[in-house]
Amino acid sequence: MPAAASKHRPAVAALPAMPRVRRRLLLWSAMFLLLLVALTLLVVLTVRHEAGRAQDQVDALAAEASAQLRSALLGVQQQLQALTAQLPDSAGWRSGALELLRRHRALLRIERRDAAWGAVQSIDSPAAPPLFAALGRRELDLDAAAACATARRTSSPVFSRSYFVPEAGGAGQEVIDLCLPLQSAGRDEGFQVATLSLQRLLAEALPADQQRRHELSFVEGDGARLARSGARRGMGVYRADSLVDLPGATLRLRVDSVAGPPSLIPNLATALVLGLSVALFALVLLLARDVGRRARAEAALAEALTFRKAMEDSLITGLRARDLQGRITYVNPAFCAMVGFAADELLGRTAPPYWPPELAAQYGDRQAARLAARRPEDASSREGFETLFMRKSGERFAVMIYEAPLLDGQGRHTGWMSAVLDVSAQRRVEELSRQQQERLQATARLATIGEMASLLSHELNQPLAAIASYASGSLNLMAQPDDATPAMLHEALQRIAEQAERAGRVIKSVHDFVRRREQLRETIGVDLLLEAVLPLVRLQARKTGTAVEVELGQPVPRVVCDRTMVEQVLLNLARNAIQAMEQGSDPAARVLRIRVRQTHERWVTFYVADAGPGIDRELGARLFTPFFTTRREGMGLGLSLCRTVVEQHGGAMDFDSPVPGTRRGTEFRFTLPAARPARADADAPPLTQATNVT
Amino acid sequence: MSPTLDPTLGLPVVYLVDDEDVVRDALAWLLRSRRLLSEGFGSAEAFWQHLVTRRGGDAAAWPGAPVCAVLDVRMPGTSGIELFERLAEAGLLPAMPVIFLTGHGDVPTAVSAVKRGAFDFVEKPFSNNSLVDRIEEALQRSAAELTRRREQRTRARRLAELTERELEVMRLVVEGHPNKRIADELGISVRTVEVHRARVFDKMEVKSAVELANLLRDAPA
Repeated sequence: MPAAASKHRPAVAALPAMPRVRRRLLLWSAMFLLLLVALTLLVVLTVRHEAGRAQDQVDALAAEASAQLRSALLGVQQQLQALTAQLPDSAGWRSGALELLRRHRALLRIERRDAAWGAVQSIDSPAAPPLFAALGRRELDLDAAAACATARRTSSPVFSRSYFVPEAGGAGQEVIDLCLPLQSAGRDEGFQVATLSLQRLLAEALPADQQRRHELSFVEGDGARLARSGARRGMGVYRADSLVDLPGATLRLRVDSVAGPPSLIPNLATALVLGLSVALFALVLLLARDVGRRARAEAALAEALTFRKAMEDSLITGLRARDLQGRITYVNPAFCAMVGFAADELLGRTAPPYWPPELAAQYGDRQAARLAARRPEDASSREGFETLFMRKSGERFAVMIYEAPLLDGQGRHTGWMSAVLDVSAQRRVEELSRQQQERLQATARLATIGEMASLLSHELNQPLAAIASYASGSLNLMAQPDDATPAMLHEALQRIAEQAERAGRVIKSVHDFVRRREQLRETIGVDLLLEAVLPLVRLQARKTGTAVEVELGQPVPRVVCDRTMVEQVLLNLARNAIQAMEQGSDPAARVLRIRVRQTHERWVTFYVADAGPGIDRELGARLFTPFFTTRREGMGLGLSLCRTVVEQHGGAMDFDSPVPGTRRGTEFRFTLPAARPARADADAPPLTQATNVT
Repeated sequence: MSPTLDPTLGLPVVYLVDDEDVVRDALAWLLRSRRLLSEGFGSAEAFWQHLVTRRGGDAAAWPGAPVCAVLDVRMPGTSGIELFERLAEAGLLPAMPVIFLTGHGDVPTAVSAVKRGAFDFVEKPFSNNSLVDRIEEALQRSAAELTRRREQRTRARRLAELTERELEVMRLVVEGHPNKRIADELGISVRTVEVHRARVFDKMEVKSAVELANLLRDAPA
């Protein structure tokens, strides 16, 4: 049953293994790649964001610092402007200048010059060492002179280019001069020049906390640093330049954060992202490994399933699983082949179609009993039991069933697994040998009757042949009579008489034989008679699936009979009945009924009924004729001998077809003398049985 | 009635071999009513014993008269078939045809026996007079065989009386040569040839050369 079997085949993927693996590999690597790109991007963006923020900070700081510087310088310029009003020689100028120098730490020196660039007055900051101690002012006033020339021209304050003032000890500093022209009534009266330290300007440009975190410096266009301030050197990563526009000069201010390039680890956000990414990656790896293992397990499982399936399919033992409700949940092909039903017809059924209808009720009870025994070990039977199943064709066959509890993965009892073996072939062989045995027995029993017949024919043949010879010879003699003829005829007639007498003796010996058997009569219970016969009858009945029903009256009747002969009669009738039902009749209707009943004070009646096609009238008329038979191999002596036996017992034999009260079948009846009740028996003289002599 | 047998051969005898005395006796009586002699034997062994003593040492001389045997197929001890085999082996069948009496089941056995040289078989129960007819036919055959044997013996005896020269002359005479030619062949006178020739005719009890040739034709050379 391949079609049925395929339904229960486990769902093993039909795809070939290689492309499946390759596809999975592709998917996995694509996922890894995307994950990698996304995570990298995330980290990069985070880092870049951090960097941008730091850069913005620095930019803002630079702008702020440049504005601060500018306003500071302009403030100094205004105050210096105010000082120009004082005469250079006056104490007022001197104190005013000193005041300025004190107030602004960046101011290093204030000078007054006349219109011819001659030095008039100068004052150095008290907070700093004298500026031009190492090198004279005159050698360093070129820038100031250029600025003053411009200032005179424009009549407005002008800053000079910055220049380096060396100091003692090899050090020095960059300074810038601010030149204010002194004009009155359109006449140049000289200049007031203030020198500012760039380094000190820077120190004041930003609050202290910013100073700690940034390096401020003035740089030239080529990047050369002029002056710097700040606690530490900048890292050169976050850097912002800002121009400080001053009249006559422009200073480039550079703010350089001490913060280095954003590092990955100390950065919390980045670290978080990174940690998550790593965790995610690890997770994915674990998942991949898990999936791999699962795939391997699946493949192993599929292989195991295929192996199991192949094993089940190759078995010749039928397998059947039932759940706790008795429903069939599984059958293997061998079982289907055995019973001839497809798996579809069996699955889910509680009363399966392979139960013979006449036994279904009994099987149902048996199954209920097994299910009632909740504990598996109570009902499991390692020894197995034999029972009868029915093929789809209606043929009954014997099977051996071994049942074992079915446990699920958790060890729960979920049903029953049965191994079913078809033992019909074995039974057939056994039955055959038993039938041969039976035939032998039957032959042995019939031998007495057959022997009698053979003996009779032989014994009668001789005298009859002799008589015929003498008669023929006599006729010969009388055709040509001579002197010796009368004497010969006399002899012949004498012989004829002798032989006739001999034939008579033979007949008498037959009579004696019958008498001998009569002396074998005994009183016997009908149950014992049937007991001797039924095993043989059942054997034959089983072959055709015929049911045998036996009904004995109560109390069991007792008969007086030649046991062996009556057993022969019963066997004969039963065999005829079974054979009558062999062909064409519905297997379920094949019932052989044997009833025995005391129908009269002196008679017991035996009924043997079949459900076969019956006997028509014409056939019935010849039924008891010796040598009449409907069977090819039959001798035709069965029924006539049966009747002879019964009649020798003083009984009668008859039949009805169809069976009274039904429409088909044949019922044979015969009567045998009933045994007298025990008390009467005891009272009767010992010769009572002689009354049965025919 | 069958043609009568040559009385010179002696009285024919029918041997009846059957274990049933009654049947044997009745059959014997029936044969007697047809003027036939019979001897009955109750077993194959008894019959065989009888044959051995009767024949004595001279196999060729027996039987002195036409005989036939009627055997029952089924007998206790040696069966009819076994007895038949023994008779065939002893070479008695030509002179003593065998008829079997068979029961219902023995027909195939009897048929095969007939194929091996038995004269016939008759099924029991038999029709009495037709059985006797068959017995008479068997006796006829036996008689013919005996006649043939007797002629053979006569010829041999006569040939034995001839001298060498007479045999030579006889051979040439039978070949059809005239006396003159025979005389030349043997280197004797025509007169001598004529004397020999007359003596041959006399000894062989023939009257002409044709008769002599006929007599010798049946005999093996």
